[in-house]
Amino acid sequence: MTERQGGGHERAFRALLRVYPTWFRDAHGEEMALLFMERVKRAKGPGARARLWWRVLVDAGETAAALRRRDPRGGGMGMGTLLQDLRYAARHLRRSPVFTAGAVALLAVGIGANITVFTVVDSLLLRPPPWAHPEEVVHVYQDSDDGEPGASAYPATRDMAASDAFAAVAATTVGSVAWGGPDGPQPVAIEYTTSSYMEVLGQSAQRGRWFGPEEDVPGSGLVAVVSAPTWHARFGSDPDVVGRTVRLNGQPLTIIGVGPEGLTGTYTPLLTDFWLSISSTIVGGPYQVQNLELRADHWYDVRARLAPGVTVQQAQSAMDALAARLGQEYPEYDRGRGITVFASKDVRVHPQGDGDLFAGGALLSAVVLTVLLLACANLANLLLVRGLSRSGEMAVRSALGAPRGRVARLFLIESLLLSALGGGVGLLLTRWALAALPSLPFGDVFGGTLDLGIDGRVAIFSVGLMAITGVLFGLAPAIRSARTDVAQALRDDRRGGSGGRGATRLRSLLVAVQVAASLVLVLGTGLLARSLRALQTLDAGVDVDRIAYLRADWSQSGVEGEAVRVTLDEILQRMEAIPGVTRAAVVSRLPAQGSGSTTTEVEGYTPPAGTAAVELPFASVTDGYFETMGIPLVAGRLFDDDDVPGGTGVAILVNETAARRFWGDADPIGRRMRGQGSESWTRTVVGVVGDVSVSRLGEPPRPMFYFSTRQRTAPPSYVVVRTDGDPAALLGAMRQEMARLSVTVGVNAQGTLAGHFGETLATPRLAARAMGAFSALALLLAGLGIYAVVSFSVARRTGELGIRMALGAERSWVVRMVVREVVGVVVAGILVGLALAAFGASRIAGLLYGVDALDPIAFCGAVVTLLAVAWVAAYVPARRAARADPVEALRAS
Amino acid sequence: MARSTDPRAIPLRPPVYHILLALVRHDLHGLGIADEVDDASEGAVELGPGTLYRSLSEMAEAGLIRTVAAPDAETDPRRKYYAITPEGRGLLALETARLGRLVETARARNAILEQA
Repeated sequence: MTERQGGGHERAFRALLRVYPTWFRDAHGEEMALLFMERVKRAKGPGARARLWWRVLVDAGETAAALRRRDPRGGGMGMGTLLQDLRYAARHLRRSPVFTAGAVALLAVGIGANITVFTVVDSLLLRPPPWAHPEEVVHVYQDSDDGEPGASAYPATRDMAASDAFAAVAATTVGSVAWGGPDGPQPVAIEYTTSSYMEVLGQSAQRGRWFGPEEDVPGSGLVAVVSAPTWHARFGSDPDVVGRTVRLNGQPLTIIGVGPEGLTGTYTPLLTDFWLSISSTIVGGPYQVQNLELRADHWYDVRARLAPGVTVQQAQSAMDALAARLGQEYPEYDRGRGITVFASKDVRVHPQGDGDLFAGGALLSAVVLTVLLLACANLANLLLVRGLSRSGEMAVRSALGAPRGRVARLFLIESLLLSALGGGVGLLLTRWALAALPSLPFGDVFGGTLDLGIDGRVAIFSVGLMAITGVLFGLAPAIRSARTDVAQALRDDRRGGSGGRGATRLRSLLVAVQVAASLVLVLGTGLLARSLRALQTLDAGVDVDRIAYLRADWSQSGVEGEAVRVTLDEILQRMEAIPGVTRAAVVSRLPAQGSGSTTTEVEGYTPPAGTAAVELPFASVTDGYFETMGIPLVAGRLFDDDDVPGGTGVAILVNETAARRFWGDADPIGRRMRGQGSESWTRTVVGVVGDVSVSRLGEPPRPMFYFSTRQRTAPPSYVVVRTDGDPAALLGAMRQEMARLSVTVGVNAQGTLAGHFGETLATPRLAARAMGAFSALALLLAGLGIYAVVSFSVARRTGELGIRMALGAERSWVVRMVVREVVGVVVAGILVGLALAAFGASRIAGLLYGVDALDPIAFCGAVVTLLAVAWVAAYVPARRAARADPVEALRAS
Repeated sequence: MARSTDPRAIPLRPPVYHILLALVRHDLHGLGIADEVDDASEGAVELGPGTLYRSLSEMAEAGLIRTVAAPDAETDPRRKYYAITPEGRGLLALETARLGRLVETARARNAILEQA
């Protein structure tokens, strides 16, 4: 050995001495160098010197760590070191950009999905209402005809307001009207509201004023209050908005005030654009005004503020007395009709709908939490593997004097930093998702603009979630790093060690968790997809592929009474003149579209519960409607020239379900009905037609009846045509014909019936797609987890496998043996997943159509999918192991 | 941590025992101790520099050994010499007796290969 080489060894050793505490180095460093150099001199050949160096390194790691631990002067845990650790973690993450980007993307999806769902669920279900003293506010409901709490008749709300139990009673009802803005008419959400509304909520207009009692009387002036969000968004927070005029449904209304900040409407998170006074109900049409005097129509929701000292129970007693009195005074409307008082904390949106909303919210939350859990399990696994590959580094850090706690903290800081990065990107995703949310057609779940945003509550949730996430996936690797025996780690590091049995078990457990969670999500997707498929292929009772429609806007036409029929005839003539159109009709509603029902008494039929009347959906149609839609006539006749206006009787058609329910096997023709409260039986059944979906696809068959437009003057909205060709191709010609009408009838929507049905399935489709996306992600993660575990095991056993193959083991045998290692883990995960899925599936049974919650096809499909993914994930690394050259494998070990 | 760092704990850690044993006949410097241990253990125990000096440091602190002046023949001023203290001798005797009893037990159970 030359002198220069010896100098190299000595310099290296002196550098190594830095791992010792200063006092020890000062006391013994020189002699240790002497001893080391003596040994170097004796070591003959590079192999011996390499072994010497290895022993010295291990020795240094062990002893320096022991000395540092004992030494009160070494290694702190204060703020300075925290910043230092943060910088170190950031630098470290920057150095492995692929890992960091992957982890951040994973976390962004997981955390972003959770923040998005929390934002929706919070605003819909959790957030306290922005009212003063909400404990004094109650919701009051008149019973529906089914005997359940429902909306109230406006006259009844006035009776409630007269009660001493309440300091104030407000009645509200929602509507959608066309706002004639500069860009043409657009739909806006309004609420007709009594002047007492602000008193009930304990708030006041932030500009101008709220309605006064004089504006609770129809005809006393058209006034509106703009909501704060709409004032900001559509009026640019214009301070001079008060006094301006808005045209709603063609009527000029004066804006008298701006609503309080933070109040978005009665039905959060639906955003109300304008509040209209009772005096402005004419904006909704003449019937909206007539309705104010009708005890048969239940349109209003009631919020009330309890009088001082009155409890909810006392208010309930007062309402029981009122209900009894109304039952005596108006037996035809209110006999047996109760009135229920709910504390505002017990109602979110509506007592009848809250259950479904909470179930939906819980399902959504469970899905996104599962995805996050999966992401955490996967990251924990990755970090464990990375932690092992870094155990050498960590051991040296320990040796350099970092207390064990600090090494663990370094891991945690790194995972928290990752989590914060992921959460930050997740918040961006959330903002994007929330912006996209209102443009998604949500059917009857959300019927208007949503007021959703990232506020303080969401921010707190997000930060908390990031912290929990970071700890969740960082804790296991951190604890393992702290437990790692330094010398063991240094030895393992050289051999590419497995990190011991504990780490292997932990990784297996994480894989099992991933398999279980993925199975639940895959199964959920299967169930939702099968349910959606059943909905898409169900027979709605009409020729869905043959029909196009326009929605007519009559508000500018000025047509009423007899003139409506003239215009309808003109529309039908023009439509049927279009080449390709075989039949045309006009109808007040499309199938699978909830609107229009009336409280009806049926001769000879007593409903099982509640009052004498039933709430029946209806449509008014022109003669050709049933031929146009392909709805069969089952008995009797369709509408014809015999059905003339002005006579004493009104002809109606009922659907098969109505005929069966009301009259059983008896002949329904000639049976009679009347509107609730009517003196005589004016409506006579002349025919029975086939069932169609009334308010949504997949609902249980519902009774329904039809009026003829010959005997009803309200102009129906939907122009429908039948063709043998492509219905979409007719829409242009249909619009042109509408424009040529002798009166102005606008068109504010158009499409095909198939498209309309598709839109009504937007919610289940969205649910199935979202679930599908989440399960695909889950499968990918579970697959990666299995892949990692098998790869690791293969790498660890390279030598052993090499020996076995050298001894003549078949490659296929090697593959099987390696794959077998994860079989137990996968099977355990699948079993746990099946148990969870069976439990979870029963919870979502209500969301499914035409498929059982324990559907064997969906269950088998999910298991097969999981097994397939697991097999591929295990097979790829196993095959790599089997392909290895035995000699190479042995040499590598 | 579970393992005591007190060099006086019985059973003695192997480096501590070997260092005491090396110092029984004469005072030695660190390298000398390492050689002595090498010889006595027939190469089975090789004290790494860290282990050796950490043990020396702890043993001196615990009073089992002490530093002494270098003999006149020593030319390298960097070398520190160590001598065993009476306490060290006592502990060495105690541990050796314990090991002796252990060997006796093993012999009584025919667990020892008798040399031919």
